[in-house]
Amino acid sequence: MRLRRGQEPTRRLAHVWNEANCTACGACIIACTATNAPEMMHRKEKGWNSLASNIRRIESQNAQGRPTMMLSQCQHCEDAPCVHTCPFGAVHYTTDGLVDIDERLCIGCSYCVAACPYNVRWMHPETGLPNKCMGSACLELVAANQQPACVQACPANARDFGDLNDPASSVSQTLRRLPNRVLLETAGTKPKYFIVESSS
Amino acid sequence: MNVADLTLQADVAHWSWTIAIFLWFVGIAGMGSVAYYFSRKAPLAITILVSLIVGLLFVVSHLTRWWNLPITIFYAIMEFSFNFQSWMFWGFAILSVHLVLSAIVVVANIPFLQRFWFLRWAAVLNKSNLFLGLFAFAGFGSTVYSGFLLSTAAGVPLWNTALIPVLWVISASVATVALIELFYVLGWTDEREAAFGLRLGMGLDVMKLLAVLAFIHISLTVGTMGAQIGAARMFSGDLALMTWVGVIGIGILLPLAIGGLSLLIGKKKPLLIVSSVAALAGVLFLRAVVLLAGVWEPLVI
Repeated sequence: MRLRRGQEPTRRLAHVWNEANCTACGACIIACTATNAPEMMHRKEKGWNSLASNIRRIESQNAQGRPTMMLSQCQHCEDAPCVHTCPFGAVHYTTDGLVDIDERLCIGCSYCVAACPYNVRWMHPETGLPNKCMGSACLELVAANQQPACVQACPANARDFGDLNDPASSVSQTLRRLPNRVLLETAGTKPKYFIVESSS
Repeated sequence: MNVADLTLQADVAHWSWTIAIFLWFVGIAGMGSVAYYFSRKAPLAITILVSLIVGLLFVVSHLTRWWNLPITIFYAIMEFSFNFQSWMFWGFAILSVHLVLSAIVVVANIPFLQRFWFLRWAAVLNKSNLFLGLFAFAGFGSTVYSGFLLSTAAGVPLWNTALIPVLWVISASVATVALIELFYVLGWTDEREAAFGLRLGMGLDVMKLLAVLAFIHISLTVGTMGAQIGAARMFSGDLALMTWVGVIGIGILLPLAIGGLSLLIGKKKPLLIVSSVAALAGVLFLRAVVLLAGVWEPLVI
């Protein structure tokens, strides 16, 4: 449900990715596309040169030359640039603390795509919508008190999703217990995608 | 620099030549409206309106859901979901006002239309300094908006500078002066305006050169990594040819050289045509190169 001006979200739903547990199998990426945009299963997002998915896999090398990998996705920022820039209010916060899009109000200007510092939106070639996490199918799962597709698909338990306002939620406990970071913290967007740095 | 996830803005957000042409037309229409306050010539009025219409057609053609625009506006009004924080929303508002005012000015400038009594109020408005001041203000606002549109796109660090609106105003002024010089060649404006335009144009060319170099320098030296990569592409990378030949060589140095020559030997119409076309092309190249150079901040280094 759309968050009205001056209203506080009832929940602060957030994603957690444990990079130490992740085996880079790609199951979350496939599950995301298969659940939210199955028509894109065999098509690439040309700009990223990878499967059109709401989860983006970024590969690199560390200083020692060892391969590294990171998963990025919509951070559901609490001060989201995409919400600030959308001219007709299509991109909005929900009462669950997520960033969502109202298709009726979207004209496909791509301003939200250019405004996202995390480069996690992609333009759907058929609907013209700027896709991102969470897709409509995952939102339905969450509404039915289930976990999003990526969390369900992860074989290594490297993904979690839950309410930061609930101290008993698994995400709150994990973030209290383990060192973690957010991406581009200095951008001031207050992201809610947490990367757990180690299991120890 | 080992940047793993370097993504070009033009490949994902697709803001490239279509948007560059839109920004170019808006600049011409915008600063043209400021010039109209002083010039008040029919060809300029018609150019402003045509530029706005063509520019808007380009930007609408870029929308991936252009067919949803009427429904979106309907729901936005019904639910009052307009986003007053968005420069694009203000752009819609400013360009709408600018378009209406331009149409009034054109109606006032076409003698055939002035035969109809119900359109004569346009001629009355066209003589009002207040109305033309408002028209100039709307034009200036359109140009400034087209700069802030980029400055506030937080995903592309190269654009996140207040220099862009300034650069857009200066370069759009260069384009307007180039148009006035072309009008002189075509016999649509007088010698006095052309002579003033020549000197003004040279001054603006110098300012534009300074602003372009400042933009690249600041981005290269104190920008974030994404801004540095974008500026490096403009300065010495895959877009260097467009920057040095298109924006600076053709768009600034050639008109400056012809302007200097014209001051020495007098105005030659063939040279003025070359100078004006080069200046107009340079303004388009500037918008294109700034758009194309945009990359996202790398998340992994």
